[in-house]
Amino acid sequence: MDPQMMVELGALTLVGGAALIAGVAEDLESDVGSQSNPNSQVQLAPQMGYLHRLYNKAISGEPASYPFYAAIGAATALSVLSVTGNNSLIGVFFALVAGAFVTALIHGVYATTSYMGRLASQSRFGQPIYMDVLRTHTPVLMAHGFVANFSVLLLTWVLIAQHLSPFPFVVLAFIWGIALGGVGSAVGDVHLGTDRYYQDRPYGSGVNAAHSGSVVRKAESGLRNSIDCAWFCSKFGGPLTGLGFGLVVYLHFWKEVVVKDWWSAVAGIIIVMIFVIMNTYLERYSRQRYGTYKEETEAE
Amino acid sequence: MAEGEQSPRRLMVIGIIGALIGMYLARYLNLWTGTAWFSFFAGLGAICAVYYGADAVRRVASYGLGTGVPSIAMLSFGAGQVAVLLGLAVAKNYSIWFAGPVIALILAAIIGLVNGVMARRVIKMNIHIMEMSMTEIAMAASLVILGLSTVIAGSFTFNAIMSYVVASGFIIAVFIVGAMAMFHPFNACLGPDERQKRTLNLALSTGFIAMLVAGIASGAINGVQAAVPTLIIAIFGWIIYYLRFFADTKQDAAAMLSTGLIPAEEEVA
Repeated sequence: MDPQMMVELGALTLVGGAALIAGVAEDLESDVGSQSNPNSQVQLAPQMGYLHRLYNKAISGEPASYPFYAAIGAATALSVLSVTGNNSLIGVFFALVAGAFVTALIHGVYATTSYMGRLASQSRFGQPIYMDVLRTHTPVLMAHGFVANFSVLLLTWVLIAQHLSPFPFVVLAFIWGIALGGVGSAVGDVHLGTDRYYQDRPYGSGVNAAHSGSVVRKAESGLRNSIDCAWFCSKFGGPLTGLGFGLVVYLHFWKEVVVKDWWSAVAGIIIVMIFVIMNTYLERYSRQRYGTYKEETEAE
Repeated sequence: MAEGEQSPRRLMVIGIIGALIGMYLARYLNLWTGTAWFSFFAGLGAICAVYYGADAVRRVASYGLGTGVPSIAMLSFGAGQVAVLLGLAVAKNYSIWFAGPVIALILAAIIGLVNGVMARRVIKMNIHIMEMSMTEIAMAASLVILGLSTVIAGSFTFNAIMSYVVASGFIIAVFIVGAMAMFHPFNACLGPDERQKRTLNLALSTGFIAMLVAGIASGAINGVQAAVPTLIIAIFGWIIYYLRFFADTKQDAAAMLSTGLIPAEEEVA
């Protein structure tokens, strides 16, 4: 094996690990903020008469907000790098941390404005703004966002330093932000929305329109808050999102590094085919095992 | 339009004139002094355009766009982006540098109008202000992109923008930060009790955040000269308008409690 490929495989491992951590942190962050898909239910709840103590953060959907954070982080990192220079490892590390830090601050500011703004615009339904919810949830959001963004910046930097991508730093970070937000939205939201907000509904029933906004508001002890959701999702939804994003990044660059050139496109098609076949079998198996989706029969 | 609100025409004048004045001040003061100290004027101009664009988003989105709020801004920023690069290239081609932003603005209006006509006549979205709104949002978007790019590059000539903003990749940060600044205010204040003053105060606060990011990026191109004044003004402006938004929220909210249980249904009434 030639030394260049050894280095690239090492970089690949680092990139895959960073992507895994980014995925986990991203999903838990969006769960604390009930962002994206489940957001509409939390937003609807006061209108349907269900007042709550959940955090409601609509900084667009995740596929738009994550490139936003990543682009800010990358622009900041690039600016710091123009001072520290990109030859020393510690300088690069400092720049990436600075980028993720500035992003975390801006993320926190945007999160508070969407929590306060949406609830103030629903004043006729009597939903109060709880300052303790704002004070306890926002730092949790910022911290998870910091980890996710640092990981995205790190993986982008490794790709740029190893010449594995033709794009400028900021553009590549932006693209990975879209990918991360997309995976977080597609994989993670399922476990937040239906599993956590509708725990009292039977498996596979989906959410009937009559139950819109009827989110679970009481916890095992006391009232449900959104940090509980992160705790719940950290068991399954978060790691699954991490696995999803990690696999996307790892497999993509694995075929670039190991198979190379035009054959990597062929390898990509083969990988996608394998996933399609696996998913088809999985769905068939689970439908046979758990049956088709049932209509809800319980009386309301 | 409810009472005590600013009229769309007034906001249009503030947005377009303010943005153009900001950009020209930044460009020519920088040129005459041979420094980059005055780049922040373009940032203030971009904030005027954000202010105007946020109200245009607010007007069209209050027809029940919901998840379409980010989409309409992204579409318009795409139009604005194309218009900016094309407008500056046209100005370069005919050696009329000073007219670049105006040409970009006109092109943005045309692209926005086409988008609006497509949305209403072809896709048949039944919103009667669609054409006007798409035109206005695209115009505001082009001014925001050009203003923030001018902060970074210190000038709005085609060559400066291409080599300092596009080639370095900062253009994508300008794109998303500007789009977020413009649609986030209405997206965050979405609801039946939304109020123009609160939304626009939030727009100013997000506009200053966009200026802050452009200021940070300008440090990589023009160093301390461009970055320091921009950052100081952006941080002070953000604090002022964030506090105003907070005061408006306090006034509008059903209640702002330090803590408490969920109110019982009879208390809400």
